[in-house]
Parts: sequence; structure tokens; C-alpha cells
Amino acid sequence: MPETSPPLLPKRFIRPCLLLLLREDRGHGYDLLERLAAFGFERSDPGGLYRALRALEEDGLVRSAWEASASGPDRRTYEITRKGMEELHRQARGLASTDDLLDLFLTRYSEFVSLPRRRSGERSRTTSSA
Amino acid sequence: MDELELLRIRDEVLQAMYWMRSEGIADTPDGPELARFLAVPAATLAPYLERLVLDGDLAAQGPGFRLTPQGEQHGKRSFADEFADMTKPGHGECDDDCWCHDSPEEAARCLEDRVGHGHA
Repeated sequence: MPETSPPLLPKRFIRPCLLLLLREDRGHGYDLLERLAAFGFERSDPGGLYRALRALEEDGLVRSAWEASASGPDRRTYEITRKGMEELHRQARGLASTDDLLDLFLTRYSEFVSLPRRRSGERSRTTSSA
Repeated sequence: MDELELLRIRDEVLQAMYWMRSEGIADTPDGPELARFLAVPAATLAPYLERLVLDGDLAAQGPGFRLTPQGEQHGKRSFADEFADMTKPGHGECDDDCWCHDSPEEAARCLEDRVGHGHA
């Protein structure tokens, strides 16, 4: 069985991930926690999600409102703002530059050590269990 | 205990507990769980939790705490108040169906339009 390592996520990667998820669809806390798992975030850290959402809201990148729930207390539902969309574009461009550098690093590394890698097509079909 | 600091922490704790409960994450979190959630040291938070119990916002339940009706009302209301100015669309924001529309180039064009002669 090939050796695997947990992904090294960029610092504050949760911010563009949340903006992307909210660009795809609005959501509430638990729902976002589940959807974040695809990007390698632990479901066991709801506090990290809560603090990230609050920071995004303080920065005007998302907004939220209470939404009645049939099964319990009202839930806070989040959606991306116009400013958040612009920030998402900015961060996506930065991540694309990072991706180029990572690709260069891994290409040169693999010249002397074989490393199992997935390319973008595979990445989009695969979800992390982290 | 600084009373102004108490007011700030009261809002933080009650808002977080309301959110945790409404998301089904925890109904009666204990001190260490709340401290992890808020990313503060448990020893720092502990005296504030005791004070919130004395003030009737929280009730001790087993090793944890639950919101009283008073605490629940405060947590929900203060959360909404804190972000009230941010829940409305900003001046010049596009309509929901505008989002312009899936590329940085489109977004830049929209931004130019809005800066130039309004768009929303």
C-alpha cells in the first residue's frame, strides 16, 4: 500500500474555500462543515469554521441571516456578497500562481524520487476523507 | 472582572452557543469545548462562564452548560445586531441574477460599470 500523507493546506485556505462553496450555493454551518471536507478540512473543527465565517462577515465578504428550521432553533444561513465574489477571484488567481510553483517543485522532485500524484481531472472527481 | 470585557465575552459566548446548538454541534458544551471553539484558553474562559450562570444566561448541566431562555434570546439577538449593517446589500452591489458572470474579466467589467455609472 503506498505511503500517504495528509495534505499541506495553504495558510488561511479555508477563506477561499468558503467563498467558493458559497459561490456555488448558500449554506449554513453544519452544511458548510460537510462540504469543506472535500478540501481536506476536518469535520471535527466546527470552531474553526465558525471563526472563519465571522471573520469573512466582518470583512463584508459574506452576509448571513437567521432562517427558520422546521426541526429546531433558527439557523444562520450564509451567502457570498459582491465584495466576496471579487475577493474569490483575487484569491483564485493567487492559488493558480501557487499551483504553477507547486507543479514545478513536484516535477523537479520527481526527477529523482517517484511520488504518486493526481492531476486536476482526478482531483475534481475525488473527495478527501479528512 | 472588568465589566466591559464581561459584556464582550457574554456576547461572544452566547452567540457561539446559540450557533452550536442551532447547527446540532452541541447543546451543552463544557468549558474546554467552548474554549476550543472560541480559540481561547479554558482557564481564561472559566470565570466568565461561572458569571454567566450567576447572571441567568447559562445553566450548569452535568459537566457542561446550556443556554437559558434569557441567554438564548440574547445570543440570537446580539448575533443579528452585530452584523445588521452587513446583511443588507452594499451600495452598488449587483442584483442577485447579475453575477457577472463566472469570470474575472466579467467581474472586472461589472466593477468598471458600477464605478462609472451604476449597475445595480
